[in-house]
Amino acid sequence: MNLPIPLVVLITILCLAGIGLYCLLITRNLIKVVIALQLIVKGAVLAFILAGNMTGQLNLAQSMALTVIVADTIVAVVGLALAVQIRLKTGSLDIKSLSSLKR
Amino acid sequence: MTPILIALTIGIPWLGAIIVWLMGDRREDLTHWVSILFSIGAAITSVLLLPNASQETALTIPIGGDFGDFTFVADGLGIFLSVIAAVIGSLAVIFSKSYMKGEGSLGRYYAFVLFFIGAMVGLVLSSNLLLIFLFWEITALCSYALISFHNDDPKAVKGGIKALIITSIGGVGLMVGALIVYAYTGSYDINNFLANYSTIPGNILALLAFGFLIAAAAKSAQFPFQTWLPDAMEAPSPISALIHAATMVNAGVYLLARFYPAFKDVPYWSEAVMIVGALSALLAAVMALVSNDLKRVLAYSTVSQLGYMVYAIGTGSVYASQFHLFSHSIFKALLFLSAGAVIHSIGTRNMLEMGGVGKKHPLVKWVFIIGALALAGLPILNGFWSKELILESGLKNGPLWLYIVMVFVAGLTALYTIRCVWLVFFGEPRSDYHAHAIGWEMIAALLPLAGAALVSWLAAGRFSVLLGEKSLPFHAIEPLPYKEMMHEILSLPTLVVMAVITAAILLWVFRKKLEGLINGLKSIRWAAENSFGFEAINNAIVKVTQSTAEALRVTQTGILNWNVFGILASVILLLAILVLGA
Amino acid sequence: MVYVLIGVGILVCALLAILTRRLLLSAAWLALTSALVALMTYLLGAPHIAVIELSVGAGLVTVLFVFAINIAGEDITPLKSLIPKPLAVGSIVLAGGLALFLILRAAGVLNLTPLTNLESAILWEERYLDLLLQIVLIFSGVLGVIGLLANGKHTPDVEEQS
Repeated sequence: MNLPIPLVVLITILCLAGIGLYCLLITRNLIKVVIALQLIVKGAVLAFILAGNMTGQLNLAQSMALTVIVADTIVAVVGLALAVQIRLKTGSLDIKSLSSLKR
Repeated sequence: MTPILIALTIGIPWLGAIIVWLMGDRREDLTHWVSILFSIGAAITSVLLLPNASQETALTIPIGGDFGDFTFVADGLGIFLSVIAAVIGSLAVIFSKSYMKGEGSLGRYYAFVLFFIGAMVGLVLSSNLLLIFLFWEITALCSYALISFHNDDPKAVKGGIKALIITSIGGVGLMVGALIVYAYTGSYDINNFLANYSTIPGNILALLAFGFLIAAAAKSAQFPFQTWLPDAMEAPSPISALIHAATMVNAGVYLLARFYPAFKDVPYWSEAVMIVGALSALLAAVMALVSNDLKRVLAYSTVSQLGYMVYAIGTGSVYASQFHLFSHSIFKALLFLSAGAVIHSIGTRNMLEMGGVGKKHPLVKWVFIIGALALAGLPILNGFWSKELILESGLKNGPLWLYIVMVFVAGLTALYTIRCVWLVFFGEPRSDYHAHAIGWEMIAALLPLAGAALVSWLAAGRFSVLLGEKSLPFHAIEPLPYKEMMHEILSLPTLVVMAVITAAILLWVFRKKLEGLINGLKSIRWAAENSFGFEAINNAIVKVTQSTAEALRVTQTGILNWNVFGILASVILLLAILVLGA
Repeated sequence: MVYVLIGVGILVCALLAILTRRLLLSAAWLALTSALVALMTYLLGAPHIAVIELSVGAGLVTVLFVFAINIAGEDITPLKSLIPKPLAVGSIVLAGGLALFLILRAAGVLNLTPLTNLESAILWEERYLDLLLQIVLIFSGVLGVIGLLANGKHTPDVEEQS
């Protein structure tokens, strides 16, 4: 086993994003949706760092990754607050209960 | 100084829009006053811009990336149109205070009006095509929202949606044009394009030229898209004045004028522009002649006069076209606002139910007559000078038969104008209406416009300098002092036009004796009342768009899983293209 | 070798996070994933991000999750998924494979640069826009949460402390 490190990280990133996407496709639980988004974004952060490392622009990559983390945290906060509200309003966390806007 | 003024002229109305929207309907009087204040502020800053015309990029907002910067240039054309938008817009807002008294949703109304004014100013002052597209779409959105302002009236909603869809066609044309310009010159900057257009291959340039012509025709309600403008008449009258005189429809003519130097050598383009203009002018004038709805008559006359402007650009006289736009904005705002006063007072738009309004509102009668005479092109009002300039340019540079059509349309214009004035203000009342009083705000908005309609042509010389070489290096507009203009206009062709107009007026005076002739033209009348079939074409476009949208509803499941799947599928498609393509 | 171990650890934790029925356990696995991601970023030469990821991703967000799940309650009735699972797996594998192929073809041999220049500050001088955006983002997020929680009568004010 003598894989190059970037390849290992790259596969990790892709699999992480894939797992997150799979969860987004399958789950019907709102809180799970937020968890899946978190997983995908963690993959994105790793990707930024890896790219920065490979091109030698690590500082730029770090500042970008920071922006992503901040945005992602806000998404988590607002998403969870929404989920809580929906649970209180409709009594369930099922995303199917959200399509009532459609005729 | 200039950058600050530009930012203020766009920013003040937009700030006002946000404030008015947040204020809502809680304090009606305050809402009126705040919007008047902001619109006047924008008008003042736009007028202050006038001495600062230059071709230099005044304001640059870097947005990073590959798309160039958002740039604003305060050149003559842009400043002139922004003054029109802001000043006439502010008069319409002042007028609204009386017209909209007691209406609901004032916050929404004024917010969109101010947003509209700011967007129009941005549209004409920007020199980045992407930004122009953005402002262009904002004006489309605002016009939709304002036409459908009475959103419980299905006719108003229908008119609004029609305006939105038809003008969106123009928006698509503009966007494609912008992308082509970017692809071939490497920048969205207009002046860069005007300087380097010869590097673009001929067929691409032709595509661009005709694409922009379609965009302009859709926006300015020209042939064959002319039917959305009359349907937009469901809007409150000040909005009609705003759309017709100050903002929306000027954008199309502006686009043609702005790009004229690049497109003038494209084969058949000038001819196409002239024919579009002449056809719009002719058809709309005939339709105006048979319509009985006061606002519709004015709407058709707008289409007709815009036809003159487009025709003027085709003949190569950007100056005459813009000068007519200047005159037209003044007298058309005057006409719409005084018509609004009449409608507000009487409560009907049908001219057959009016008659004798002049006795009740002598002041409105006189200002309306001033506007009508300017529209008809009678000396010495401003419409006369600008229309004669267009006709003269048409005689010199255009084919003779189109010139004859345009002179004939001038006669028709006089005919429908006098018919309209007569039906509304003279004779005996044809129904028992109640003439309500007219607020002082309406008078305050009407009087300056009437004065301007009388004297604005004196500014011709200044105007030609404003559009001159210093601010528009590619258009080659010669300075034209008004004495020279008078000398040029007071010549034989003008007498011919005057004779045609006089004949038209005589035709109206002796209409009783000409019954036979009028009956003979019944088929034309019938065709005109049915908009010569273009109503059907435009309705078909609207219907196809709407049914496509309805059919595509199925794709909107409203379920997150399927949406994510859609995203994933498009990602796969994109990656596959990349794998196969590169 | 250590990268392989961490990578496998990340993936196992992530899988457990999405496969576990109980939401609280999911959140815990997510926190562990986050910690391992932080470790990997540290090894790749980005200590700042590692610290932030650890404190925000593994700390703050997990706390938020625990609060939210406490309020909303466990909703563990298994729901049948709306998309057939083979379709989901297939399309994801397809997308991932294509992406991997593209990256490998574009980058050729993958090499890490030697990590020498680590101590320099993050380039804030060139990234005013990011900073501004983050401030706006945080502000709007706080406003959004306050607005959301203000309407709910049964909601305790726990989330506002964060």
